[in-house]
Amino acid sequence: MTSWLDHTVNGLIIGNIYALIAVGLALIFGVSNLINFAHGSVYMIGAYTGWVCVAAIGTPLPLTLLGVVVGCAALGILIERFGLRPLQGAPRIAPLLATIGIGLVLEQIAQLIFSPDPRALPSQLPAWRLPLGSGSIGALDLFIAAVGVVSTAVLYGFLRFTHLGWAVRATAQDRDAALQMGIDVHRVNQVVFAIASALGGLSGVLVGMYFNNIFPAMGFQATLKGFVAELIGGVGSVPGAVAGSLLLGLIESYGVALLGTSYRNLFAFLILIAVLVWRPNGIFSSTRQVPPEPLTGTFIAPSKPVHVPRWAYAAATAIFLALPLIWRDSYIIQTLTNAWLYGMLALSLTLVAGTTGQMSLGHAGLLAIGGYASALLALDLGVPVPLALLLAGFITAALGTLLIFPAFRLRGHYVAIATLAIGEIVGLVILNWEGLTRGPIGVVGIPPLEFFGLPLYDTSALYWVSFTIMVLLALLQWRLTQYHLGRALRAIREDDVAARAFGISLNRYKGLAFAFSGFVAGLSGAITAHMYSYINHETFNTQISLLALTMIILGGMGNIFGAIVGAVALIGLPEMFRAVAEYRILLYGIVLLLLVRFRPQGLMGTV
Amino acid sequence: MNGALLTLDSVNTFYGPVQVHFDLSLGVPAGKIVCLLGGNASGKSTTMKIILGLLKPRSGAILLDGQPITNLPTPAIVRAGVASVPESRRLFPAMTVRENLLMGAFTRRDRAAVQQDLDRILELFPRLGERLAQRAGTLSGGEQQMVAMARALMGRPRLICMDEPTMGLSPLYVDRVLELIQTISRQGVTIFMVEQNANLALQIAHYGYVLQTGRIALQGSAPELLRNPQIRDVYLGGQSVQQK
Ligand SMILES: Nc1ncnc2c1ncn2[C@@H]1O[C@H](COP(=O)(O)OP(=O)(O)OP(=O)(O)O)[C@@H](O)[C@H]1O
Ligand SMILES: [Mg+2]
Repeated sequence: MTSWLDHTVNGLIIGNIYALIAVGLALIFGVSNLINFAHGSVYMIGAYTGWVCVAAIGTPLPLTLLGVVVGCAALGILIERFGLRPLQGAPRIAPLLATIGIGLVLEQIAQLIFSPDPRALPSQLPAWRLPLGSGSIGALDLFIAAVGVVSTAVLYGFLRFTHLGWAVRATAQDRDAALQMGIDVHRVNQVVFAIASALGGLSGVLVGMYFNNIFPAMGFQATLKGFVAELIGGVGSVPGAVAGSLLLGLIESYGVALLGTSYRNLFAFLILIAVLVWRPNGIFSSTRQVPPEPLTGTFIAPSKPVHVPRWAYAAATAIFLALPLIWRDSYIIQTLTNAWLYGMLALSLTLVAGTTGQMSLGHAGLLAIGGYASALLALDLGVPVPLALLLAGFITAALGTLLIFPAFRLRGHYVAIATLAIGEIVGLVILNWEGLTRGPIGVVGIPPLEFFGLPLYDTSALYWVSFTIMVLLALLQWRLTQYHLGRALRAIREDDVAARAFGISLNRYKGLAFAFSGFVAGLSGAITAHMYSYINHETFNTQISLLALTMIILGGMGNIFGAIVGAVALIGLPEMFRAVAEYRILLYGIVLLLLVRFRPQGLMGTV
Repeated sequence: MNGALLTLDSVNTFYGPVQVHFDLSLGVPAGKIVCLLGGNASGKSTTMKIILGLLKPRSGAILLDGQPITNLPTPAIVRAGVASVPESRRLFPAMTVRENLLMGAFTRRDRAAVQQDLDRILELFPRLGERLAQRAGTLSGGEQQMVAMARALMGRPRLICMDEPTMGLSPLYVDRVLELIQTISRQGVTIFMVEQNANLALQIAHYGYVLQTGRIALQGSAPELLRNPQIRDVYLGGQSVQQK
C-alpha cells in the first residue's frame, strides 16, 4: 500500500521533468511564436547523448550532464540556424511544419544509429533510499527535483537580471519593438533555442536514468506532455509552464493511483482538451478569449495550381483501372492499393487542413475509428461488410466531428495541438475500453471485403475496389468544394473573423468539412481493417497522421488531385525501391523539410 | 540637402508587387524638427520602417550623417544613433515603466550614465516618476506615449523618428507632447516626425514634406506650408490633396 504522500512526491518529481521540457517550449513560443514539435526529439537526443557518455565513454555524472547540456544546446543552435531562420518571412505554418520534419529526421537518425530497440541507461547516482512516509525516496528522485529547482532558479535569474535575459523578455513581448531598441533578435532566438534544448536534453537523460530505459521514439510523448503542461500554465509563460508541469505531474500521479497506469496519458490529453476549451490562455488567466492570432499570412498562399486538362484525368483513370490487367506484378498492385487508401486519407486531410485551414495532426484517429467501427460491426453484430463500411464512414463522420467540435473556436496553432491530442485520445480509449475494443490484444479475424456476398482476396479486385472508391470520393469532394461550400471554407481559412462578419456560420461549415473529412477517412480505415484482417490500437498511429500531412503538402494544400499525387509519390516510390525501407520515414522528414523551404506550394499548387 | 543628418535618396520601396515609394528623396537637417505629412496609406509609416531598417527599399540610399545605412540591420542602425517612437507606441506591456525605459538604453554599456540619464529624463516626464513600478500595459494611452518618448531618449540618439505621436490623445496631452518634442529638440536631438494633422505638426516643425501616394507632393518651411492654400484645403475642410 503506497500512501498519498508517495504519490505526491512522485507527482512532483515527474512534474519537475515535465517542467524542464515545458519551460523550453514556453521560451521558444515566447520569442518566435512557434510551437516546436522537434522539442521531444531533442529530449531524446539528450537521453542518447547521456547513454553515449555513460555506457560508451564512462564519464562520471557531472561530465555526463555537461556533455548532454553542451550537445543539446549545440543541436538547438543548429536547428534554429539552418532549419528555422531560412523560413523567416514565410507563412507562419512553415516553421511549424519544419519542426515536425526536423523531429522526424532526428528520430530516424537515432533509430539508424542506435536501432529502434530500447536500451538501458543506468542511473549514476547511489542506490540508497531515504524512508519517507510509508515508502521511500531515492537519491535520483532528489537529484531530479534539485535539477528542476536549480534550473528554474537559474533561468529566472537569467531572465530577470542579465542583459541578454532582458533582451529575451523584450523580444517575447514585441519582436519589432525589441529590434528598434537595438536588440539582435536572431541572437536572442539562438540563445533561446540553446537554453531550451539544453533543458530538454537534461530532462531526457534524467528520465532515461529514472526508468533505466531509452528508445528513439520516446520524444513524441515528451513533446505532448510538454504542450499539455505549457497550455495549463498559459502558452509562452515561463512561470506558467513550471506551475502547469507540477500540476500535471500531480494529477497524473493521483490519477494513476486511482485508475491504473494505462490511464496516465489519457489524463494528460483530456486535461489538454479541457484547458483548450475552457481556459485557452491557461488556468491562471481569467479570459476565455484566445489570444488574437491573425490567420492572414498563416497559411501557404494559394498559388496558380498546375492546370490538368480533363482528358488527362480521364486518361489517368483509365490507365490505372487497366493497370492490373497489364502489369501482373502483384507487389506493385498491392503497393498501389495501399497508395489509394492513403489517397483517401490525404483527400480527407486536404479538405480540413488545406481548404479550411484547420491544421489537423490527428487524422489517423479517424482511420482508427473507421477501422474499429467496421470491424466490430461485422464481427460482433454480423453486419454485412459493405454495409459495415458505409456505416463506419458515417460513424467516423459523426464521432470525429463530435470530438473536434469543442475545439471549433480555436485557431491556428491551437487547432494543431487539439487535433494531435484528440488523435492520441482515440488511441488511448481504444486501448482502455476493453469491453468494446478488446484492448491491447486488438481485433483479430476481421472478415474480408466482399462484393455481393463474394469475398475478395484477389489483389487486383482489392485494387479496383479501393481505386474506384477513392476516385468517387475525389469527384464528390471536387464537386462539393467547387462552388459555394468551397468559397465559404476558404474564407474561413483566410480570415475567420471576416468570414463570420459576412454571415458564414463557422460551426456549420467547419462541421460540414470535418464530417465529410471523417466520412472519407473512416472509409479508408474501414477498408484497411478488412484488408489486414487484424488491427490494434497502434495500427493507425501519429506517424500516419504526419505522413498524410507530408502528402498533402507535397501535392499542394487543398489540391484534390495533388493529394492523390502526394499519396502515390510517398507510398509508391519508396516501395518501388524496396532497399530503402528503413530509410523511408527519414525520407519523409527530409521531403517535408525541402518542400517547406523550397516549394511550399507543392507539386500541383495550393488551391 | 547637404549637411543633412538624415538623407533619403530616390528610394523605391515595395511590399511584394505593390510599390509604396516612388523615387522618394528627402533630407532632415541636424538639430531641426522635420515633419512628414500625408493622408492614410500615403506611405508615411513605411518611410519610418525603411529608415529603421525594418524593411529594405528595393533601390535608393538612406544616409545617416553621410554614411549609408541602407543595408544595415536594425540593431546596427539603432547603435548608429537612430531611435524610434513607433506607430501605436509598442511598449513592452509586461515590463514595468522603469524596465521599458532601461530597454531604451539597451545598446549602452555605461551603466552609471544610464542611471543619470534616467533621472534627468524623468524630470522631463514627472508623471512617469510616480509610475516607475507599474506595468506599461496598464498605462493610459497618453502615459504610454510619454513612456515611448522617454524610452527613445534613453539611448542618447542623434535622431528620433516618431510615427504619429499625437494619435488618439486628448487635446491636453497633444499639447504636452508637442511641447516635449520642442524641449527635446532644443537639447540638440534631431526629430523626424510623421503626422496626419498638419496644423499641429507645423506649429512646432521647422520644415515639412507632404507625401502623396509615395511621392513628395510639396515641401517647404513650416510657415510656407501653413500659408499654402493646398494644405489649408486639406485641413480646413477642403478636398484631400490626394484627390487632386
Ligand atoms: N506589411 C505590409 N504588407 C503589405 N502592404 C503594406 C504593409 N504595410 C503597409 N502596406 C501598404 O503600404 C501602403 C502605405 O502604408 P503605410 O503604413 O506606410 O501608410 P501610412 O501613410 O502610414 O498610413 P496611415 O496614415 O494610415 O498610418 C498602404 O497601401 C498599405 O496598405
Ligand atoms: Mg502609418
